Amino acid sequence: MEAANFKKAGILTLVLVLTCIGSWELYLRNHGVKISYNDDAPLWANKRSHIYNSQERSTFFIGASRIKFDLDIPTWENITGEKAIQLALVGTSPQLILKNLSEDKNFKGRLIVDITEFAVFTRDSGDHESAKKSIEYYHKETSAQWASFHINHVLESQLVFLETKVFSLSALLSRRFPFANRKGIQSDVNFPIGFEPSMYNRQNVMSERFLADTAGQRTMKNYWRRFGLLDTAHGMTGDTLQNIFIDIKTNIDKIKVRGGQVIFVRPPSSGEMLAAENKAYPREDYWNKLLAYTNTPGIYFEDYPELTHFICPEWSHLSPKDAVVFTKDLIEILQNKYKWAFYNKQSFALNNLNSKNF
Amino acid sequence: MVFNSYTFIVFFIIMLVLHNLPFTWKVKKVNLLIASYIFYAAWNPPFVLLLWLATVVDYFVGRALYTQPNKHKRKLLLVISLCGNLGMLCFFKYGGFLLENFTHLVNTIGFNYHPAKPNIILPAGISFYTFTTLCYTIDMYKKRSEPVKSMLDFALFVTFFPHLVAGPIVRPPQLVPQFETPHTATQKQLMNGLLLISLGLFMKVVLADSMLASPANTVFGATGPLNTLDAWMGVLAFSGQIFFDFAGYSSCALGVASCLGFVLPENFLYPYAAIGFSDFWRRWHITLSAWLRDYLYIPLGGNRNGKFRTYINLMITMLLGGLWHGAKWTFVVWGALHGLYLCIEKLIQDYKMRAKPQRQTVSQASIAVQGVRFMAPHFLRNVKSSNFLLALLTFFLVNVTWVFFRSPDFTSAWTMLSSMFSHVPKGAVLLSNLTMIKVAVIIVGMVISHWFMRNTRVLTVANKMPWWLLGIIWSAMLILLILSQESSSSFIYFQF
Repeated sequence: MEAANFKKAGILTLVLVLTCIGSWELYLRNHGVKISYNDDAPLWANKRSHIYNSQERSTFFIGASRIKFDLDIPTWENITGEKAIQLALVGTSPQLILKNLSEDKNFKGRLIVDITEFAVFTRDSGDHESAKKSIEYYHKETSAQWASFHINHVLESQLVFLETKVFSLSALLSRRFPFANRKGIQSDVNFPIGFEPSMYNRQNVMSERFLADTAGQRTMKNYWRRFGLLDTAHGMTGDTLQNIFIDIKTNIDKIKVRGGQVIFVRPPSSGEMLAAENKAYPREDYWNKLLAYTNTPGIYFEDYPELTHFICPEWSHLSPKDAVVFTKDLIEILQNKYKWAFYNKQSFALNNLNSKNF
Repeated sequence: MVFNSYTFIVFFIIMLVLHNLPFTWKVKKVNLLIASYIFYAAWNPPFVLLLWLATVVDYFVGRALYTQPNKHKRKLLLVISLCGNLGMLCFFKYGGFLLENFTHLVNTIGFNYHPAKPNIILPAGISFYTFTTLCYTIDMYKKRSEPVKSMLDFALFVTFFPHLVAGPIVRPPQLVPQFETPHTATQKQLMNGLLLISLGLFMKVVLADSMLASPANTVFGATGPLNTLDAWMGVLAFSGQIFFDFAGYSSCALGVASCLGFVLPENFLYPYAAIGFSDFWRRWHITLSAWLRDYLYIPLGGNRNGKFRTYINLMITMLLGGLWHGAKWTFVVWGALHGLYLCIEKLIQDYKMRAKPQRQTVSQASIAVQGVRFMAPHFLRNVKSSNFLLALLTFFLVNVTWVFFRSPDFTSAWTMLSSMFSHVPKGAVLLSNLTMIKVAVIIVGMVISHWFMRNTRVLTVANKMPWWLLGIIWSAMLILLILSQESSSSFIYFQF
């Protein structure tokens, strides 16, 4: 082939690629899909590195998905004037991340630990793969990976189809061809589109489309059932449980010795999920013992009338509107009951008052 | 830095612009050298020191080897170079392995010795650039080529970023002359290069990472016996994954070099269409097998010292070839199996030659065909169009070797082999129907395409195509590449 013909092929390629990818992007946008960031190890590592930013006063959050949905980070930052750094990982016990923070001598700040019982009180709670992967990535991140992350961030901020979990080739095939499976193999997990879009600050925000989609919410409830989260059998006991308490206490003590503050939070759940959790993980056997053993304060949503009225659309996580209310109430409790002083609380209140007057 | 990352795309665009600006040739070479160090340092900056050390030592030792008239001094210089290069490789790659085996040995004979496990990080691509520098000094010793005139050219030969971390393993005469005169890509070279990069990324990102890595990891990550179908699907997925991963890397390397106006040697020629194992090694990781042939097998005596020594030399070459891939006994067994296949093939060839001496003039390839044909079941030997079936037999036997290559230990390898070749009641079922369809479609497509392409090259085919058809195929690859959205995972051969 002559060079000129090769050039023609190249131009045709460029036109076809731009047309197809552009059309795909427009199609998704027309269907209400919004920007979502891949909540992967590079993004986690980026947030983890905030510990070393001495200019910021920050509160760090660890735990499972509930705190990722329930904490509205813009609300937190507006009210407190401080950064909220989300280090929780979906479906993961906080244990490994807690250990990682406790071993980092630079970490001496505030830490809020989401206690979702079925994630914390499990046999592999100290061995969750996603936590191990994220921590390892953080410690081994190369400058090339760091640069790729930042270039990727620019692209992800502009293109909705770059949401790997939903629109990658593998995910599209899995959603398009839900073949009947072989005996013993469960179908792929494909959460409804719009259930867990992730912001750059790692907050998960349910989309309006999902909130209006009762079938999608039912699908999520069925997934919780399939994952065994609605089982009512009593959770773990004995030495395994005691070892978890010991591990958590050891790491919390290390942070406290350096002047850090730690508090547990049990975020709201509702419906069958709450009923199952109450049966499988009775408060007096888990939550109360955890607080007593670790000598650490905690906020259990049922103890505060302002936190008890939430209805989770799929029984486990708050809607974005409720997350704003929950976050405001959480700050109030932290401030009034636990005397957490926020850096910019007063100036924010003053600014807010001034803006209302004008 | 890996080719399948945004960082590399930006890096490469900057390099293309710099290389096409009106600088002097020397400035362009300095640019390429600095870029190559940045490319390497982006992974772990301190290990650039190792590259510098290897470059400086071998440059001066190489010159001295060529010019030194005293035989003994030349031998001493060669020993210094071999010790330096292989010592570095042994320390970083085999240090832990040697200590572990030594500990095991002394404990077996009754000593209670338990040293701390060494925490040695393996520098990326050390096996590749060590072989590159080694062949230079050996060539200088044998006076096969002239010493490189300038330090800059030699440093660039060792460090040139397209081949630095995972080959192809280049020889001085293949690359150094290209640095002596100005090289920029013609329009055709640029387009060919871009096509090869697209193809390489498609193979790596779409086929290896997005489609095949997961089933291979699932199956090889299993702890117990597997359902036979799952075991086979996992092994086939891995055979595809490792080909697309490594051939994808090589294709990118050739493409990147081509865009800059350079030519690197080909590393893969449709190996799953190989008929027999000598044919396989002429098609798989060609630059490594050629290196092993020229710098190990032939110096050992090759086939010059009788049949028995030939088999021994073949086995030694393949065992060390296996060990080159990693400091584990499973790699040695992988190499041993290939050595065994080659020996059996040669044995059959020799038998055939004795039986029909008049056929001594037939080509090497047809001898290989005879060799593998003899290993085939009887019904295959009589089929006229059996070459394809013989290629399938070779592919089948290669798959058996991949079990050892991929398994973390021998227990897993035996479990996998027993799952593949015997009925395992209650063997674990791991793969979904969709996954098995994906693996089947890709592997069947791969084998058929290898067969039809076995005597040609991708650029030859691309150049013969109507431009609109090439444009459609090219864009399909790029669209699938963009849609795959796989994160920039490392190439498998980086760890070697």
